[in-house]
Amino acid sequence: MQPTTAPAPAAAAATVPPVLRLTDIEKVYQTKTIETTALNCVNIAINRGEFVSVMGPSGCGKSTLLSLMGLLDEPTRGTIEVDGRPVTSYSDRELAALRNLKIGFVFQSYHLINDLSVVDNVELPLLYRAGMGGKERRQRALAALDRVGLNARTGHFPGQLSGGQRQRVAIARALAGSPEIILADEPTGNLDSVMGEEIIELLLELNRRDGVTVVMVTHDEVQARKTERIIRFFDGNQVG
Amino acid sequence: MLRHLFRLIWNRKRSNLLLLSEILLSFVVLFVVGSILINYGRNYFRAPGFVHANVWRLNLSAPPDQDGMPRPVLDEVLRQVRALPGVQALSLGSGNTPFRFISSGGSFDRGGREVRFASYHDADDDYLRTLGLHLREGRWFRASDDAAVRRPAVISQLMRTKLFGPQETAVGQTIRSKDANWEAGQATPTEYQVVGVVDDVRESGDLSSNEPGIWLRLVPHDTTHWQGAAVLVKVAPGQHVALQQRIVRTVAGTTRLWNTQVRTLADDRLDKLRATLGPLAALALVGLFLVLNVALGLFGVLWYNISQRRAEIGLRRALGATGAGIGRQFLLEVMLLTALGVAAGLLLAVQFPLLGVLDVEPAVYGWGMAGAAAFILLLAAACAWQPSRLAARVQPAVALRED
Repeated sequence: MQPTTAPAPAAAAATVPPVLRLTDIEKVYQTKTIETTALNCVNIAINRGEFVSVMGPSGCGKSTLLSLMGLLDEPTRGTIEVDGRPVTSYSDRELAALRNLKIGFVFQSYHLINDLSVVDNVELPLLYRAGMGGKERRQRALAALDRVGLNARTGHFPGQLSGGQRQRVAIARALAGSPEIILADEPTGNLDSVMGEEIIELLLELNRRDGVTVVMVTHDEVQARKTERIIRFFDGNQVG
Repeated sequence: MLRHLFRLIWNRKRSNLLLLSEILLSFVVLFVVGSILINYGRNYFRAPGFVHANVWRLNLSAPPDQDGMPRPVLDEVLRQVRALPGVQALSLGSGNTPFRFISSGGSFDRGGREVRFASYHDADDDYLRTLGLHLREGRWFRASDDAAVRRPAVISQLMRTKLFGPQETAVGQTIRSKDANWEAGQATPTEYQVVGVVDDVRESGDLSSNEPGIWLRLVPHDTTHWQGAAVLVKVAPGQHVALQQRIVRTVAGTTRLWNTQVRTLADDRLDKLRATLGPLAALALVGLFLVLNVALGLFGVLWYNISQRRAEIGLRRALGATGAGIGRQFLLEVMLLTALGVAAGLLLAVQFPLLGVLDVEPAVYGWGMAGAAAFILLLAAACAWQPSRLAARVQPAVALRED
């Protein structure tokens, strides 16, 4: 038997690319009369398992950044890499598949479909996953709801839940697809401090226990300090 | 995805109810109009069973204050008209000549088999030749029938099938007319001897269905009680108003007491066609209005849906739906909603053949249902096409930020 040589830890780490890398990103919104630069020369690398906060005043480009990271929008200039692969030339179908498999979204206003029950809302990302049967979808949705402590509310409709519970459903929906990255856009923005705290704790737990990479846009300095890294923006420029 | 969309439609049943009702109503109206049109279309291409070209209707009527139509005068009128150049044949019969708005009918039975309604005519020995009926079995009436014990009758093929079936011989058999008095046991049934069978005659117009028909030999021994007589006149091709005027003058030359009207069967045919198509056109107009309503409804609901559901579109895109997938979803949603409305309409439509509402053949109902369903579904697809394309083009990042 040939002896095998394990790579040194430092060398192994060096070969693993960031889960998300934005290089020289510029995003300009153009109308007939006005040109607005939302992001200017942004360079960010998000490593696997990190919990990163994005902070800055309103209108500084945080949500635009999250849209670009979530592959929901295209940059005017620059490249976005997922797992070291540039996605600039990806087709709509390839980008959709990448979003479905790798990224979970949590929004400030929850974005739950009011006409679907809690469990049906959580199943939603799995509907777009090829080859997954109804039984497996239901099992994964129930497991995700159990994870956020809402297994008693599966048949309820969003209108019957509190804000905190709705955000938990949104997190369960993000979790159901077992994504590597969760992008949370002001997840506590519509909640009181107690409920906000619960949601942050939940995200921290997901990050620490399950190794999910989390990028969170927030205005709350206290919440941001709980994360590993803070990226600051001002007027579309990365300032820290 | 299909189950998911069904669930979504079910959960939105209140907001979908109005549209569903409109689809259901439109389907039923389209089904009715379609079934009638299909039935008319099928009938139009069927052989009428007689020849109306170059056949005129001569109506003679005696004023009510006169002593009817004495037989010698009537015979003289017919003899003189028959002798006119251009007249090829002439037949005296009952007033329900083809394409007229007059019908006579009765029930007939034979050996336990019954025809509830058969179109009933009086016809003389020249009727077959004048109207060009096609004899299938036996013979038409003739002079020797004057000595017949029972009044001779010629029946249509449909009536023959109903009374005798396909195998049994009809010619030579006796049939009975049933009337209310007989059924009440107050009268003896009248018996007729079948002497011939003719092809089915659709005398009620180009769009009418086959009806059982019976022609009984006209025995005009005493016509003094008659107030009117209907005469069919077959003329040579190319005869027009001049001959019509000569006929009127000829009648007037024999008796000035009678009124005379000459019309071509071609004119009668057009009158009948207009009268039949009039109500249908009105119904079709109602159908068109409803269809337009459904189209606008579907279009409006979809536009509204897309503007109201932009956040949902953005969310679905974020969760892994492609733009084309969103377009397909909206299209499928409309098609499912329409299919539900059509399914409910079908439940209603199947009651029509069971209750015999439209009096058409069962196959026509089937075609009517299939045609109406296909039309509504195509309409829905056409209305949903553009809004679905718009939904597919919604930018997810923008839509998610709007909420």
